[in-house]
Amino acid sequence: MGVAEPIAFGGSLPLRRRLLPRLGVGRLETAGLAALALTTIGALVVPLIAPHAPTLPVAAGPLVKPSAAHLLGTDDLSRDIASRVLYGIRSSWFSAIAVIASGVLIGGLIGLVAGFRGGWLDTVLMRTTDLFLALPGPILAIAIVASLGPSLAHTLLAVGIVWWPWYARIVRGEVRAVMVRPHIDAARLAKIGRMRLAFRHALPGALPAVLVTASLDVGNLVLTLAGLAFIGLGAPPPAPELGSMVAQGLPYFFGQPWVCLAPAVAIFVLAFAANLAGDGIRDLLHHT
Amino acid sequence: MIAAETIEAERTPTARPPVLAVRDLAVTFPGRVKALRGVTLDIRPGEIVGLVGESGSGKSVLALAALGLLPPAARMSGSVLLDGREMVAASEEERRLARRRYAGAVFQDPMTSLNPTMKVGRQVAEAAGSMDAAIEALERARVPEPRRRAGQFPHELSGGLRQRVMIAMAIAGGPDLVVADEPTTALDVTVQAEILALLIRIRDETGSSILFVTHDLAVAAGLADRIAVLYGGRLAEVGPAADVLHRPCHPYTVALMAARLRGDSPRATMLPTLEGEPPDPRAHPPGCAFAPRCPLAEGACDAALPEAEPAPTHPGLVACLHAGEGTGARLRVREAPRPSGDPESAATLDGVPLGPDPGSARAPHGASRGSHGGPALLLSDITKAFGKGDRRRVVVDGLCLEVPAGGSLALVGESGCGKTTTLRMAVGLETPDGGQIHVGPGGSPQLVFQDAGASLTPWLTIGEMLQERLRTGGLDGPARRTRSIEVLQMVGLPADIAGRRPRQLSGGQRQRVALARAVAVPPALLACDEPISALDVSLAATVLNLLMNLRAELGMAMLFVTHDLAAARFVGDRVAVMAGGRIVEEGPSEEILTNPQHPHTASLVAAIPTFEPPSGVASKMELG
Repeated sequence: MGVAEPIAFGGSLPLRRRLLPRLGVGRLETAGLAALALTTIGALVVPLIAPHAPTLPVAAGPLVKPSAAHLLGTDDLSRDIASRVLYGIRSSWFSAIAVIASGVLIGGLIGLVAGFRGGWLDTVLMRTTDLFLALPGPILAIAIVASLGPSLAHTLLAVGIVWWPWYARIVRGEVRAVMVRPHIDAARLAKIGRMRLAFRHALPGALPAVLVTASLDVGNLVLTLAGLAFIGLGAPPPAPELGSMVAQGLPYFFGQPWVCLAPAVAIFVLAFAANLAGDGIRDLLHHT
Repeated sequence: MIAAETIEAERTPTARPPVLAVRDLAVTFPGRVKALRGVTLDIRPGEIVGLVGESGSGKSVLALAALGLLPPAARMSGSVLLDGREMVAASEEERRLARRRYAGAVFQDPMTSLNPTMKVGRQVAEAAGSMDAAIEALERARVPEPRRRAGQFPHELSGGLRQRVMIAMAIAGGPDLVVADEPTTALDVTVQAEILALLIRIRDETGSSILFVTHDLAVAAGLADRIAVLYGGRLAEVGPAADVLHRPCHPYTVALMAARLRGDSPRATMLPTLEGEPPDPRAHPPGCAFAPRCPLAEGACDAALPEAEPAPTHPGLVACLHAGEGTGARLRVREAPRPSGDPESAATLDGVPLGPDPGSARAPHGASRGSHGGPALLLSDITKAFGKGDRRRVVVDGLCLEVPAGGSLALVGESGCGKTTTLRMAVGLETPDGGQIHVGPGGSPQLVFQDAGASLTPWLTIGEMLQERLRTGGLDGPARRTRSIEVLQMVGLPADIAGRRPRQLSGGQRQRVALARAVAVPPALLACDEPISALDVSLAATVLNLLMNLRAELGMAMLFVTHDLAAARFVGDRVAVMAGGRIVEEGPSEEILTNPQHPHTASLVAAIPTFEPPSGVASKMELG
């Protein structure tokens, strides 16, 4: 109760903002943020650093043990696993970001309109959103892939369809909370246009929550997409997909474990780093 | 320091040791925020001490330190003895036990201090030990029908009753010290008077000491035996209440008294104000924190912290090198003749000619006022209700109101009487259910919000906000920039404020920015929603002066909503008293104050705090 006051006194917002990077964000989260930045840069330059083409066989032959020439060995079709894992990370990473970007864009817009306008439009938009939330993601993916044919784009479409409603809900809630604040009334009295009111006075209030959710979602999506690829709902072979590589290496688990372990560990590390980065961003924005 | 304590102790001897003994207490928060910089204060048994200071002066920190409630991040030095128990060095557990045994606390907002999911009787019983003791405590806190109320939840009680429940909790354990941190700030004036009377009665009945923290000198004057004035984390002046109020010798106390809006503040002159900004707790000047704002300051003031010395005019202490001169004519508190609201003398805006709001025909400056035009605002038979069915609540009920062009009307009433809703309808933020609203020619009506800081969009710069307001006035880019700098100057702010965001400004600066935006395109009517109710005395005076200035300069009409009749009288040519959704009395402001007709008005007039200094002192304080 009263304890809130000295804190507010001692650390008014600007001060808290200044202090948090030093005090609040742990080393692990900082490492996560760094890993996120590195992964993004790495994903961009994979074609430059990958030692071999991901879909073409190498001279060493199939199921070769890890060695200096092939750091993670080769798979049953004589392809360099290290190169395939690198390309797989690249594809997972960009897929996750594409889904999130579409979710933020579509969901954000719908949430903004619903929260800003309120009334019947809010009801219609949010019930529609609920409808999409009720769709089971994997089954939708199977249905879409079954009808449109297997391709990464179709999988992303399916995941995108079930992903945006979360952002619509978050943005709508945050915008509604901002709309009752006095600064909106003040802006209305200042005769500010509706678009400007929505985008400059209301929407920025929802950004912190969206940013935190989006950064925590990267890890979720990496896992979801890998899971779908594992059951054959990702990019069709021979494309390097971490999930499908695990599935493909499973028969050789007892003889040549590196074939399925290398992509599996890559999935784990990617998701873990993404979650740490998400925590880091959340701490930075002081959403505990 | 030691010598001073001895002297004070000698002058007012008491047999029993103090209930609270604060010695040289310094509190620092992370980020080198020095909230307290060496405070020494005693509270004797059965004494009420009023701790007065502006926001950021460290008064709440001192109150929390007395209770041992400061967060672990706060670094403390010095000593706080609560009934002889050291609180600074004690463990969390020891502090909890001392607090439980010897102290009680009442905070500003009882709604957040009470557990909303628990019946109030049980909450009081937690502090009292048993339900019977709880009922007794509620009785002592003058909660009517304590048995029935004990079975209710906090949200079922009014604000005043909730605060009484908090007081019951505070006194339930029979504490030696009750710490009350701004307990009446969120309450109506009439309820505030009741709570103050209750606190005095509780002290008389139980002999508990009370540390009463407030930003309002007048409230402290209403109940304190001694008053301690805190400035920049240091005690400026401490002494018997009547002496500190009527014979102040610290320049800050003198200025606070002068800036205080009274029931008889001359309307012809500007209110005396204290120039400058409150001290930044992150800056640690070697000298007196008040020196930058002090008219008496010399080189020596900046060199070293002034120590508390026996005051020359009363048996208390004062920390000022010029204490003896503080009351004399050397203290220049700005006092200028107030610009008259007379339309003929109102200056036209120099600089960029302003386009009208799109769609509203704007008469030339002089013609929109006076007898030629209609009123700036005419509300006839307005009704407004919220909710539906059983929950329908009529807030405004057949209200008629007129604000003449260029005139000013103060609308007074208690919370819940519908005055804010009326204001929101007048500026067009709400639509009435019935009746007609007519707004006179000129710029669209603007509103100054109660919480000026919250009316600024946090993520935009001041410049952006001013310019987007001016864009509706049809100015091009460079003209907008010129004009926004001009309006900043009009409210007394430097041009470089335009690049900052609201949270980088002080409370006073935010208030000025909100005003600047409201008048950037001069409105025909400026509506103000309790703009000074949450402000410190000196800041309130500054804002009132500024409003008066702007009104005269721009010739706009003003509708000023307040619960404070003294402010209403100062601002309004006429005063309208509102109760239960309608106007119960209206007339020239002086008449309303001196000869209230309606009993409701009379109770509001009675609630104006009065602590007029004896006539001799008033003439000694030649300000100007």
